Amino acid sequence: MYSFWASLKENISLTDRLMLFCAISLAVWGVFCIYSAAAGTEGHGFDYAFRQAAWLLVSITAMLIVLMVGHHKMLEGAYPLFGLMLLLLLLTLLTPKVKGAQSWLGFGGVRFQPSEFAKIALILTMSKFLSRYPPLDVKTFLMGLGVIMIPVGLVVIQPDAGSALAYLVISFGMLVAAGTPFKYLAVIAGTGLSAIPVLFLFVLKDYQKNRILVFIDPMRDPLGAGYNVIQSRIAVGSGGFSGKGFMMGTQSKLKFLPEPHTDFIFSVFSEEFGFIGGMILIILFTVLLFRIIIAGIRSRERRCKILVAGVASWLWFQMFESIGMSIGIVPVTGLPLPFLSYGGSSLLSTFIALGLVASVCVEEENSRHLY
Amino acid sequence: MELLDSRLKLFLWGITLSVMILISGLYLCQIYQGDKYIRLAHSNRLRMIRFSAPRGEIFDRNGVPLAVNDTTFSIMGYPLDLNTPEKLQHLSKILMRHGIPMTVPDLEKTIKQQRLAPYRVMKIVPNLTMPQMAELIADYEFPRELFPLSVWRRTYPAGTTAANIIGYVGEISENELKLRADEGYTGGDLIGKSGIERSYESELRGSPGQEALEVDARGRKIRTLDANPAVKGEDIHLTLDMGAQKLAVELLKNWKGAIVAMDVHTGAVLALASSPVYDNNPLAWGVSAREWNAVMNDPQRPMLNRAIAGVYPPASTFKAFMSIASLEENSITQSTTVSCRGGLRFGSHLFKCWKHSGHGSLNVIGGLQHSCDVFFYQVGLRTGIEKLIKWGRKFHLGEPTGIDLPGESGGNIAGPEWKMRRFNTAWSGGDTVNYSIGQGYMLMTPIQIARVYAAIANGGKMVTPHLNPKGYRTPENIGLNPNKLEIVRRGLEAVVSRGTGSRAGRFGVHVAGKTGTAQNSHGDDHALFAGYAPAEEPKYVAVAVIEGGKHGSSVAGPLVGQMLAHLLSH
Repeated sequence: MYSFWASLKENISLTDRLMLFCAISLAVWGVFCIYSAAAGTEGHGFDYAFRQAAWLLVSITAMLIVLMVGHHKMLEGAYPLFGLMLLLLLLTLLTPKVKGAQSWLGFGGVRFQPSEFAKIALILTMSKFLSRYPPLDVKTFLMGLGVIMIPVGLVVIQPDAGSALAYLVISFGMLVAAGTPFKYLAVIAGTGLSAIPVLFLFVLKDYQKNRILVFIDPMRDPLGAGYNVIQSRIAVGSGGFSGKGFMMGTQSKLKFLPEPHTDFIFSVFSEEFGFIGGMILIILFTVLLFRIIIAGIRSRERRCKILVAGVASWLWFQMFESIGMSIGIVPVTGLPLPFLSYGGSSLLSTFIALGLVASVCVEEENSRHLY
Repeated sequence: MELLDSRLKLFLWGITLSVMILISGLYLCQIYQGDKYIRLAHSNRLRMIRFSAPRGEIFDRNGVPLAVNDTTFSIMGYPLDLNTPEKLQHLSKILMRHGIPMTVPDLEKTIKQQRLAPYRVMKIVPNLTMPQMAELIADYEFPRELFPLSVWRRTYPAGTTAANIIGYVGEISENELKLRADEGYTGGDLIGKSGIERSYESELRGSPGQEALEVDARGRKIRTLDANPAVKGEDIHLTLDMGAQKLAVELLKNWKGAIVAMDVHTGAVLALASSPVYDNNPLAWGVSAREWNAVMNDPQRPMLNRAIAGVYPPASTFKAFMSIASLEENSITQSTTVSCRGGLRFGSHLFKCWKHSGHGSLNVIGGLQHSCDVFFYQVGLRTGIEKLIKWGRKFHLGEPTGIDLPGESGGNIAGPEWKMRRFNTAWSGGDTVNYSIGQGYMLMTPIQIARVYAAIANGGKMVTPHLNPKGYRTPENIGLNPNKLEIVRRGLEAVVSRGTGSRAGRFGVHVAGKTGTAQNSHGDDHALFAGYAPAEEPKYVAVAVIEGGKHGSSVAGPLVGQMLAHLLSH
């Protein structure tokens, strides 16, 4: 028992504590925001905040466990884990729809979203795969792409376009980090962009098209899809320089904001904490992302560099998308803001990913002493 | 490795760039345009008004209106505009001046209901007439932030005459809201609570309109941003004939019971009366809890639609069914005769015939004509309960007819299995004897009896009774032998032309039918009559059930005769 605590202590002392500080501060702040956001809509603010706090404890514990186990062991089990996640994604397709999508699995009273945990499996698998088969020629590059498309396809069927987009961005980030020649990356980017008109005309559902159209002009449908965008912008804008103060936001309390404790948590946040609060939040995210990337640069292992690129791409994309959506500079997708949005699956999977990065740091520190 | 590190450094640049984009977006939104958004949030300029759609109207087959919409007005406003005692005082003073008795506590109570959403429009003063509204709005002191909204009120011109058919609407309950969560109802919406109003709710409802308004800080409308007009619900033209319905209600006036009249070929219901009656108008406008309880707890049970939910022993009207089943099963033929000496000893019990002196020897036609109980006791025992139940199922006894009204009862087909389940005792021969004359456990609703007689009249097809032409279903042929059916029909003609039902035949049309007197352990016997006309080529079937009417022949028979005569002459 003693040696366990001692080694935990040692691991924590060796890892990047600034990174962990940023993450935990954001998550604690998130609990308060959820309390405020849910207080208006349901009158159950305390319930939501309490549950989120409980999830936060579970998540931090899970992160420490991952740190103790180490990314080496996790990478060894990457392929089976990937298979398991694909199986769970398949299973969700058999469940009844919640809000029009099948993305939940029940497990002894606890419901979770496999699509969140699949991000970890995807990152582990891709970093193992891309370091073993560097995507430097067409063949290995296409093999890498093939691996990515399986989970993307499964979440598209759910339908969960937001997660599909996140998988694509994570994978793209990892391909970049793995040293894929720029011409290949340009081909993917070009294909993606030229696919937009096709997607728009034939694939996207009406509500998804609407989201993009109201992004361009919210007033075109002020009763429907544009409503969220307009109300969210009013919430953020009316926060002003210093915000209205904790629990004082009127937009969220008066039910103008839809989904205030999940998708639009940043709107609630910046209505109450203003520009100053928003700056601090964004700085915390920036420091966190920098520390993640720097852990990769310091590491001597190819696969660790690719791994941290995946984690960073994930957190970066969801942060950029969620904040951008709240202030109306990107279209609405249903992606949670990491650490802040209400949701156990999202919080837990983010902290597990951080556990991997923290373990990369420890490894690097240890090897530094060795040489 | 170098390559990978250079790529990761690229990430740092990317993150820096994107963060700068976010910060400038935030700056633009919160600092540069902050004042504008602060103003917008302060008065939140976007307000939604939802207005209910006029409900589809209901007419009878000749276009007589049965459910229509009256326009009334409500004064609408936002709770945040009435947030001080002075404002309420002011409003109350103006309302009182125009004869609308709403005191400050009344207004406070109303507004408190929506304390949680002060930016959402709500009904402040309900149920104003056009002149009241106009007078109020014209008052120069009337608060500009309040505005009138026309709302529909449901009225039922036929009132008590068709309340059991039309039903009524009421405000949606919390339970109904939960059950219909994805159909777009909101609190305060009207929904059909019973009758046609309920069974055709989705057709009648229409779709509510919505308007998005931009308003100023005082809540006054600046302009309409977007509007979806309300769409009126579908009108329904029932198969009901109000002439016949009125007659049926009048005929029942002094009785408790039901009268049903129906087209024998299609199942279209022309009259469906239940007595005593209730008025659906006050129910639709909202009644106090006390009035509501008075209607619901009335021992006469006016809210029970006896035509479809009242269950009675079919009594001797069941003998037509008995004749068909036993002829079809070949347990008797037309020439089988039974001798009636006023009773049948079975086991230790004497089952009496209603005519204590006995009918002498008679066949199936005579049995029906004189409604001889002993004849049918014998027939029942010869055929056996299993075969009777088998035929009962063919005629769908014990199951609802599927009429397009809520709350229909299926009656009870009974039988050995049922008795074992219900009482845990075996079916006895005595039970079969009782069953054969429609007494005992067997229970039917008037509409079920009408359906069986319609099948006899139309050559063996089970129709689905309906009030809305949409409720028509292709009749199901149950395959009766036409020759055997003809024997039964001759028996039923004999009932009216020279037997127990002769009083049904005194209204100038050729009626065939059967009387019935159901023993009632709680009081006087129930009187029944089921018949169709014209006997040679039947068009309509009618059934009358009179609770405590004593004799089917003298009380119920003439009612059916008059109903059929009315239908054939119009």
